[in-house]
Amino acid sequence: MNPFSLAGKHIVISGASSGIGRQCAISCAAMGAKLSLLGRNLERLNQTLNSLEGAGHRLYQIDLSIDQDVKTAVEKIVADNGRIHGLLNVAGVSTTLPLKSVSEKKMDEFFRANVFSAYSLAREVCRMGHFSQNGGSIVFFSSVMGSFGETGKSLYAMTKGALQSGARSLACELAPKQIRVNTISPGAIITPINEHLAHISDSVKRKELEDMHLLGLGKTEDVANACIYLLSDASRWVTGINLFVDGGYSVK
Amino acid sequence: MEKEFIGKLKEVLEIEDHEVNMSDEFRTYDEWSSLAYLSVIAMLDEDYEIQMEEADFKKLRTVADLYNATLEK
Repeated sequence: MNPFSLAGKHIVISGASSGIGRQCAISCAAMGAKLSLLGRNLERLNQTLNSLEGAGHRLYQIDLSIDQDVKTAVEKIVADNGRIHGLLNVAGVSTTLPLKSVSEKKMDEFFRANVFSAYSLAREVCRMGHFSQNGGSIVFFSSVMGSFGETGKSLYAMTKGALQSGARSLACELAPKQIRVNTISPGAIITPINEHLAHISDSVKRKELEDMHLLGLGKTEDVANACIYLLSDASRWVTGINLFVDGGYSVK
Repeated sequence: MEKEFIGKLKEVLEIEDHEVNMSDEFRTYDEWSSLAYLSVIAMLDEDYEIQMEEADFKKLRTVADLYNATLEK
């Protein structure tokens, strides 16, 4: 038996309609998982669904910032697909904003999108009758910005740091149920969304960014493979960690 | 009302595989723990707007005691 196999596991993935979330879905399905995919855009969720190996995957169009919708969606997911063995909280937003531009509204928006939504989803997934009684794995998506500083990244970094802090205490709280809780901290990853943005498409800026990563910029597959590890039984003795998947960004 | 309260109690204590009766001493449940205590206190606050001191909570023994506390509000 491949220790990294996800066969027989029902995994919920938020933010599955694009970028890293979509690749996580493709990779997890290839490892045998049955997936419940969450996202805002039905058309793009369907594109993800059509890229998946295996059968029994379902998608759920949802705005994760609406608490009641999260509750209802998780109830439906469990009714449709059975109890949950793993959760990948990929959904989130990114920005580069100087201090003076970070309004209370912006803070509210970013904490809601990056922290509250993921936490609410985890809460509903862990509610009685929803998670597998044999336990499983929850992964929050932090970032190297959750641990290190860059100009203009304070707002984004605050939300990503919050996820790391919350995940550590959740790891303590959920260990009696054999639910492991970890965070992944990617470095700069090239995605279909950011490859057209200035910091990737501009060759000088891209070089600067590449130089911060010993192994160059990452691919969505690099992060998805780390997720497979954290979701699978290969990591059964791993909880409360923050896994850097950053091409060496954090070592410098 | 009683039934609804028991449902809520089962949910916060995460009792999946046994019944909850009004005469039960809730601290004897396997599911009872310091975290369960905090969950019950939070449930009384959220759902019944009851802020209970620890000393008062200690006097409650049975599920019926808990339920009656929600009625006194």
